[in-house]
Amino acid sequence: MEILDKLINVALIAATLRTTAPILLVALGGSFTTKAGIFNIGLEGQMLARAFFAVIGSIWTGSAFAGVACGVAAALAFALAFAVLVVTFRANEVVVGLALNILAGGMTISLMKAIFGTRGSIVGHGIVGLPKVQIPGAQALLGSWAPLISGFTPIVYVAFLAVPLLVLFYNRTRLGLYIRVVGEKPEAAEALGISITRVRYIASLLCGLLAGLAGAHLSLGYITMFTENMSSGRGFMAVAILIFSNGDPLKVLAGCLLFGFADAFSLRLQTFGFPSYLVLTVPYVVALTALFALSYRARPKIIKETLASMQKLLSADRNSAQVDKNPQ
Amino acid sequence: MTDRLRAISGQIIAVGVALLMGAIIILLVGESPVHVLMTLLRGAFGDQEKIAGTLLQTTPILICGVAACIGLRGGMFNVGIEGQLFLGGFAAAWVGFSFSLPAGIHTLAALALAVVAGAAWVAIPAYFRARYNTNEVVSTILSNYIAVLLTSYFTIFLFKRPGGWSETPPILATAYLPEIFSFSRLNWGLFIGLVLAVGAALIFRYTSWGYGVTMVGSAPKFAEYGGVNVKRQGFVVLLLSGAVGGLAGGVETLGVHHRFMEGFAPGFGFDGLIAALLANGSPVATIVTALFFGALRSGSLLLEVDTTASREIITVIQALIILSVSAQVLIKRRGDSQAGERRWKF
Repeated sequence: MEILDKLINVALIAATLRTTAPILLVALGGSFTTKAGIFNIGLEGQMLARAFFAVIGSIWTGSAFAGVACGVAAALAFALAFAVLVVTFRANEVVVGLALNILAGGMTISLMKAIFGTRGSIVGHGIVGLPKVQIPGAQALLGSWAPLISGFTPIVYVAFLAVPLLVLFYNRTRLGLYIRVVGEKPEAAEALGISITRVRYIASLLCGLLAGLAGAHLSLGYITMFTENMSSGRGFMAVAILIFSNGDPLKVLAGCLLFGFADAFSLRLQTFGFPSYLVLTVPYVVALTALFALSYRARPKIIKETLASMQKLLSADRNSAQVDKNPQ
Repeated sequence: MTDRLRAISGQIIAVGVALLMGAIIILLVGESPVHVLMTLLRGAFGDQEKIAGTLLQTTPILICGVAACIGLRGGMFNVGIEGQLFLGGFAAAWVGFSFSLPAGIHTLAALALAVVAGAAWVAIPAYFRARYNTNEVVSTILSNYIAVLLTSYFTIFLFKRPGGWSETPPILATAYLPEIFSFSRLNWGLFIGLVLAVGAALIFRYTSWGYGVTMVGSAPKFAEYGGVNVKRQGFVVLLLSGAVGGLAGGVETLGVHHRFMEGFAPGFGFDGLIAALLANGSPVATIVTALFFGALRSGSLLLEVDTTASREIITVIQALIILSVSAQVLIKRRGDSQAGERRWKF
């Protein structure tokens, strides 16, 4: 019981919220492209590039927020490249996404060597991290539970606030509706005179915007440094979440909390002396298991739908047979 | 024939455009593109040892490329070759250091287990892809991370060489793949790769099974009406692809390192996939593209020594090549969007 207390406490929940934020932002960004019918495997590399440029911006300007802006600008550039290739040139989105991931990995390492003359990581150099927001009165209101709502970087709050905003966006705004139509029934969108190209461009850029914040959170949030491949698969986990949540913001939130918890929990386990290599696999194993389990669960629906459509076909056959008989 | 010529020339133009963009990036990084190019060429083909080194780098890329081709032909993106490579490499090393068998048989046994390990590693994603249509791109990518961590765990916690750091004991000499020249570690693995590439091409061209695979990849509805069991075939295709990926790891262990170590073959799986994409899923063309990437890799070793640029600049160039190749169809036939889509679907 004591061990359980040590493993699961307020600090763990606060850590979960912290680790959830970047993956939540990426996944919410990806929900735009998912809803618009684009499979965006390039999230991983986009996040990495953003983390790098956020650090660069922070060093050059001496301001964390300028760093975030720099990261977001890089994000938009990547998103634009993705959109040009996938939407305008209609290149295969998996190929373009994978290539952009590889590009981001190579580019950040090359630029790091060119600018700082080092390999591995950038530490120091006057990187300014994001400030932590202390909500006044939180301590008085919640006592020892205060870390749950106070003391995060602004990006964490943005991430969680974005969830309800996105729900409203998809259900209550014209653009949200357009994005959904373009993803679900492009023919209908075309018939309505909606420009599929324009909507997909907008979705890609919105995706870049949100995921840009996620990258900045990685390198300027709780640790102020950039490391080679520091996104370490979080972008791919976001893609896994997007696949089984179909881009619905609330389901995305649920999935991200699960991964955030797995992430925070595995860090905890490490301090208890479990071999770090095995512990580090936990988030990936959780992601894979969820992906497989939920695609297995989707199976009865497919069977039911097939049965329903077959019944419809059969009854249609019977009706037409009756129609055939009647004239005789 | 003109179609094929046009396809090849388009590919070459795309590579040229990418190299031009790469030159601009090299300028931005603060190096002279000509100097970088000459260094790359010198590093890849400067003397016979360098050429053998290039072929040494080509070998795993080629085998991984064939693995990717098998998947691409059947309409499957096996992005998990990297993970299969690591597990195959470890499995071969394990056979190599824990059993003693006669020479030759030992090598074959180790390679066989590498094949099995690669296939087993992709079996779960393949099963879910075939049965429940779970996206194989994401599941194989995620399994890469697990494979790398798992083999590191095996190496460091279970089979560490006493006194060594993050490597297993060396394999017995009976399990070595024979070397071709005395001055290089280049080994028979290259022949294995060439045989695999040609063999895969022949199977796709001359057997009904290979034809079925290609049809499932390019026109699944047609294949289904033609009597192909699309689901089972998808499973088998991914399994075969994973088996070849595992073999690549086995060859790398038995031929080059003679032990398994952490990070023993970084990026070969992805390079293989890129080589296969550039070759448009043709195993024979993959020989050429793998040689190209092998030369880039081998040249980049000298790049690190002789210039201020980092060797990762070549991964930037590789990515640019793939991006410009994926866009090139539309540059030629912008109006015809269907052609652009079909191009990469095989």
